[in-house]
Amino acid sequence: MFNNSLKDRLITLLGRENVLDSIEELSCYAYDSFLEESLPEIVVLPKSTTEVAAVVEIAATNKIALTARGAGTSVCGAPIPVKRGIVLCFSKMNKVLEINTRDRYAVVEPGVINGDLQKKLAPLGFFYPPDPGSIMISTIGGNVALNAGGPRCLKYGVTMDYVLGMEVVLPSGKIINLGSKNIKDVTGYKLSALFCGSEGTLGLITKIILRITPQPETARTVLVTFADLDNTAKAVSEIIGSGILPVAMELMDSITIREIENTLNLGLDTEAAGTLLIEVDGTAETCRREMGRIVEKVNDYGALSLQEAATSAEREELWKARRFAYPVFAKIGPDIITEDVTVPISKVPAMIAKIREILNAHDIRAGILAHAGDGNMHPLIPVDKSDTEQMKRVNQAIEEIFAAAVPFEGTLSGEHGIGLAKAEFLPLVLDDNTREFMSVIKKAVDPDNLFNPGKFV
Amino acid sequence: MKNPSENTSANVSTNTCGKCGFCLAVCPVYSVLLDEKASPRARIQLIKVFSEGKISSSPLLKELISKCLMCGSCTANCPSEVDHYSQFMKMRSEMIKDHAEPIEIRGLIYLLAREQRLKMAASLARVGQGILPKAFAEKYQLGNIALSKLPDLNSRTFRSQVKKETAPSGKERGTVLYFTGCATNHVFEQTGHATLKLLTHMGYRVIIPAKQACCSIPLLFHGAEKQARENILANIACFDGEGAEAIIVDCPTCGSTLKNEYSPVLERAGKRSDSAQRISRKIVDIMSFVHDRLELLSIDRNKADAAVSVTYHAPCHLKNVFTPSARVLQQIKAIQYLPAEDSQECCGGGGTFFYEYPEVAAVLAGRKINNAQKSGAELWLTDCPVCRINLAGQQRDGKHLGLCHPAEFIATLLE
Repeated sequence: MFNNSLKDRLITLLGRENVLDSIEELSCYAYDSFLEESLPEIVVLPKSTTEVAAVVEIAATNKIALTARGAGTSVCGAPIPVKRGIVLCFSKMNKVLEINTRDRYAVVEPGVINGDLQKKLAPLGFFYPPDPGSIMISTIGGNVALNAGGPRCLKYGVTMDYVLGMEVVLPSGKIINLGSKNIKDVTGYKLSALFCGSEGTLGLITKIILRITPQPETARTVLVTFADLDNTAKAVSEIIGSGILPVAMELMDSITIREIENTLNLGLDTEAAGTLLIEVDGTAETCRREMGRIVEKVNDYGALSLQEAATSAEREELWKARRFAYPVFAKIGPDIITEDVTVPISKVPAMIAKIREILNAHDIRAGILAHAGDGNMHPLIPVDKSDTEQMKRVNQAIEEIFAAAVPFEGTLSGEHGIGLAKAEFLPLVLDDNTREFMSVIKKAVDPDNLFNPGKFV
Repeated sequence: MKNPSENTSANVSTNTCGKCGFCLAVCPVYSVLLDEKASPRARIQLIKVFSEGKISSSPLLKELISKCLMCGSCTANCPSEVDHYSQFMKMRSEMIKDHAEPIEIRGLIYLLAREQRLKMAASLARVGQGILPKAFAEKYQLGNIALSKLPDLNSRTFRSQVKKETAPSGKERGTVLYFTGCATNHVFEQTGHATLKLLTHMGYRVIIPAKQACCSIPLLFHGAEKQARENILANIACFDGEGAEAIIVDCPTCGSTLKNEYSPVLERAGKRSDSAQRISRKIVDIMSFVHDRLELLSIDRNKADAAVSVTYHAPCHLKNVFTPSARVLQQIKAIQYLPAEDSQECCGGGGTFFYEYPEVAAVLAGRKINNAQKSGAELWLTDCPVCRINLAGQQRDGKHLGLCHPAEFIATLLE
């Protein structure tokens, strides 16, 4: 438990304004974008690795739970301090330390906002590909800890594929450095990968070396509608299977499209059973050729309509429907659950059918959205968390959706993480030995279970 | 301290917030303080836990709620359509009931509540400005702004300088009503004359109702809803009528208040709001009115060629409720418009915010000033009087970029 002398030590260490302990302030750090809440006992906002290490030492000596937080946009409850203790928020460690285009890396502190890094890279002709929906506010530290994805990860890969190295404060208070600035580096275990998606359970990431990449010359986008949802999904795996690798292939079912159209009046075809948004990028010549082949393929699967965009303004217009899917369903809420189950691409048609069947069986009105090109499903389920009867049905349906992914060799989460949302379902996809191996690592690194306790490990 | 179970009057609908955090990305105060407690999402959460009785009213709670520019960017960008703006306004009133505002804010509310008081205070202040020793004016500050950098007050109120009704200069196209706002009436008469010039030039008969009062937004922000209601009813009485095709505002904040706040205030008091709704539909800011009738403007090519280059700052209430005037500057090709990279970002003025939280305002204004100066422009245009005072006042070093309303600049280019 927390006492005043510990609080005073933290204040001496970090300054009064960086230690929060009133009930009003603590209330602001009890949540993320998941449904649950838990009040921390104290919140600290350090400004350097040295300060982080000092806080960790206090936590370790006094056996106090410590949960890291970035911008608090996680949808799985990862930064919720279920065992109370300290919340360590990285928002003030937000310096971009170095951008090196010749060696193609950037070094950042964990509190740097993904969108702010993009703004710094764009004038140099570079970008950092992972683009989670929260890109404008979520932090790189949070992105790494949750191994965030995004629509364009289909072509470019997820956060982990861009992490070259990192500095970590371990639960012991020791500072370690993993990886390097080299694109190729097989010196020892690839431990930075272990920390990607570790959700703050193994260490606190205090500095990150990221791979950056040149912006493509141009992009082309097409919005295609189908009379049949199954054909929509089949078109996706056919395109991927044919060797084309689009930047993004976003699938929306008819309920999703109708809700978006009702709110935004974009002129979308509400009769279509499935809609696909496909984008390719590269040189103008590659884009033209790939788009030509994509058009052939979608026509083979009975495309009803095709809308192509070449200028960035036209592309933005086509993306509008997809971008507003979350807001539109969030508004129906009052709360929203965005599911994240993922299957191999060829199983997308069958999985979508299964999800729809389960939702119908439980009388749940939800849209089905998917980063279909990488098999990442996002059923958007508006809920009222105070309605216990409804929540019971929804939780039952989600459990069945997870179970349905297993025979397809799918997985629980593509990009949102486990946190509180999916911890209990881990045994569905990870066998006893595998989970035991995770526990062995956790116990070796954090024997007192102080770092983000109460989560998946 | 109040018993938490009594917190029912703040029991507003906060439950549509999905806590996605998108509001943090557009909140100017969060961008400076980088602490969740200074975010719109946190304020909504605080209002919720307060209404549930989990926390009590306290001076800290009041500060967390009111350390906000009321710029409305969170509301304008919320995926779940949470109305932060109205909820914050209500919660501010609730907090002020328990923990009084500082004396100078109360003084301001007292003045704004009655046009007569304001006029008298302005004339006294005018005398004050005249006799204030220079050293005194430089030493004493309003927030970060030295008194010497505050604008002079109008020698007479703008409304007393012009006729109640002004005929158009050419062919008559219609009639508009003009809500002049306190800033134009007492401080920036140039904005008023320019607005009048643009409107009459385009062929509009301009009527300035004599009995108009403060739009009331400072009163609503600082918990004086009862006094606000009297002003609102007075304004509705002068502006609700047939005949005029639009009600023109030159101040975006007055405009957003007349457009969006009158109906809810009346409804909360159990009054009919149809007159407020009629007014709401007619409210338009002067630059949008000009934008929609650009063909009626005759720009003098020689004057435009001789004019200075300009950059622009989009006031939050214009950006979030109307449309920034940059589009007019872009479409009049003769204007040499040099956009600043952050022209859409908040300047930290926020009504009385720059006075109450100077450390936050200084950071926000500093970024803007830096980028406006980098644009290379010789004049800085902005529609909002508070932005104008804030951005002029917070410029510290040698190079001072002058500020004026876009209407003033464009009026100088007319044939």
